[in-house]
Amino acid sequence: MLEALRLCKRFGAIAVAQDVSLKLERAERRVVLGPNGAGKTTLFNLLAGELRPDSGTIRIAGRDVTALPVDARARLGLARSYQRNHLFPGLTVAENLGLAAATAQGRAGGVLADSLSDPAVVETVREVAQEVALLELLDVPIDALAYGPRRQVEVGLALATRPQVLLMDEPTSGVGPGMVEAFRQLLARLPPTLAILIIEHDMDLAFGIADVVTVLDHGEVVFEGEPAAARASPLLKEIYLGSWSGRAGA
Amino acid sequence: MFRQTALRSVTIALLLTAGVAYGLGAGFFGRELLTEVAILAILAISLDLVAGFGGMVSLCHGALYGIGAYAFASATVLLGWGGAAGIVLGIAGATLFAWLVGAVTARTHGIFFIMATLAFGQMAYVYVFDSALFGGDDGLPGVIRLDLSALGIDLGSSQSFALFCVALAGLSYALAAGLLRSGFGRTLVGIRSNEARMRALGLPVQRYKAAAFAISGALAGLAGTLAAQHTMFVSPDLLFWTVSGEVLVVVILGGLGTLVGPVLGAALFVFLRHEVSSLTDHWHIVVGLVLIATVLSGGRGLYGQLEHLLSRRRASGAQEHA
Repeated sequence: MLEALRLCKRFGAIAVAQDVSLKLERAERRVVLGPNGAGKTTLFNLLAGELRPDSGTIRIAGRDVTALPVDARARLGLARSYQRNHLFPGLTVAENLGLAAATAQGRAGGVLADSLSDPAVVETVREVAQEVALLELLDVPIDALAYGPRRQVEVGLALATRPQVLLMDEPTSGVGPGMVEAFRQLLARLPPTLAILIIEHDMDLAFGIADVVTVLDHGEVVFEGEPAAARASPLLKEIYLGSWSGRAGA
Repeated sequence: MFRQTALRSVTIALLLTAGVAYGLGAGFFGRELLTEVAILAILAISLDLVAGFGGMVSLCHGALYGIGAYAFASATVLLGWGGAAGIVLGIAGATLFAWLVGAVTARTHGIFFIMATLAFGQMAYVYVFDSALFGGDDGLPGVIRLDLSALGIDLGSSQSFALFCVALAGLSYALAAGLLRSGFGRTLVGIRSNEARMRALGLPVQRYKAAAFAISGALAGLAGTLAAQHTMFVSPDLLFWTVSGEVLVVVILGGLGTLVGPVLGAALFVFLRHEVSSLTDHWHIVVGLVLIATVLSGGRGLYGQLEHLLSRRRASGAQEHA
């Protein structure tokens, strides 16, 4: 569904992506791991079109999208949620999800009918609200929500476009253990055909949901394989724990 | 999201009724003021559409207004067309120019957007000012008014023309409110709230912003064609950037993003100017003080403040009942 071929991106002297290749199949759930600054969010920005790679190719469902802007890639079925909430302030939860659903369903430009009361849009909003457990909060303005529910809206916005490929950047960052479990259940309820790429720091969650794990370090793919292999890999231990054990030793 | 609340419906109905009553009862001078209010209200609605709901604070609405006026004058004076064709040309001309400005500036934001629209507006002004074809700084005299004699209406009379303008202001409000309640209007508010996210959801944002600007231009152009018919004369002053600034003041004074507020603001602005300028030449000081007071008291504008107070009272009332 989503393919990256030898992506390279430099910011001045710093290589944030070096020959990154990965292939996300239909129905695959892949977790991207790596320490801070490994280039995980940069990879997402390259895949979604917010950054242009210096070289390399990106394909969605076999189609070369390297030159396409963010919105055109989204229309091909790519959705993403952000590490930091990126919502529509001043609007309610239902209006937030409604804008996403209406845009994806081609109702954003009608000058006669109201997109937010369109039956298909309303239906999608309710489905998504159920998926991310926001049914009770549909009429609440975003600005009045606590951080946890805002995080749910963040994921809900991406889901409401009913994508083929979903990129989620640390969906559980900053939320309590209860919500991590709720998120695990949410993932289980999503359409099985959906291809999902997740950046996740919670190791238990990551290994629990992943079919495949990709590990990035200094902008390079240093490991790709099944979670069990990743867990056993000394390389991963070193990347994640190296600095800690070093500090403990000092 | 825009909501045509009961309060807004009542207010706009009251304003229209007051306008009609004033048009029927007032003398010649009062009717001239009423005409000014109605035209300024259409221009203010046009600006509120993009500034209040799309987050695009424009300083070229004076130019759009002037282009509408000049297109009407050119059609009727230079080409000898009828008034109806003149109005169509005026609206089309302003729409096209607004679409161009919108398409070119769609990637800019904040102060850069304001400056870019200002530059486009001043370019139009300078062009008209220097153009021999359009009469240069002398303007074009001898503009006619729309002929509605087939309907038994003589727009040559100041009363009929004032009421005609009031009717068009009401129609403009209805069109703008209808648009804001449509999918397009919802999308526009989404762009104002978080443009980058709208793009990430798959919206070709620039195209929508240009379209919104074009629609706003159509209303500004309509206001311009009425201004040309009102004074039966057009001059480059109509396009000058201070006209844009004045409309922005009217919108902010009345309440940015309330759609009713700008109509109220137009009425207040015209009557305030008239009343105060009969007392002192420095009427701008009074408008300035009112504007400062409005901005310092929360920036919601007069109507926005009223809505804010009423919604707070309702919220506290609901709490007492609970």
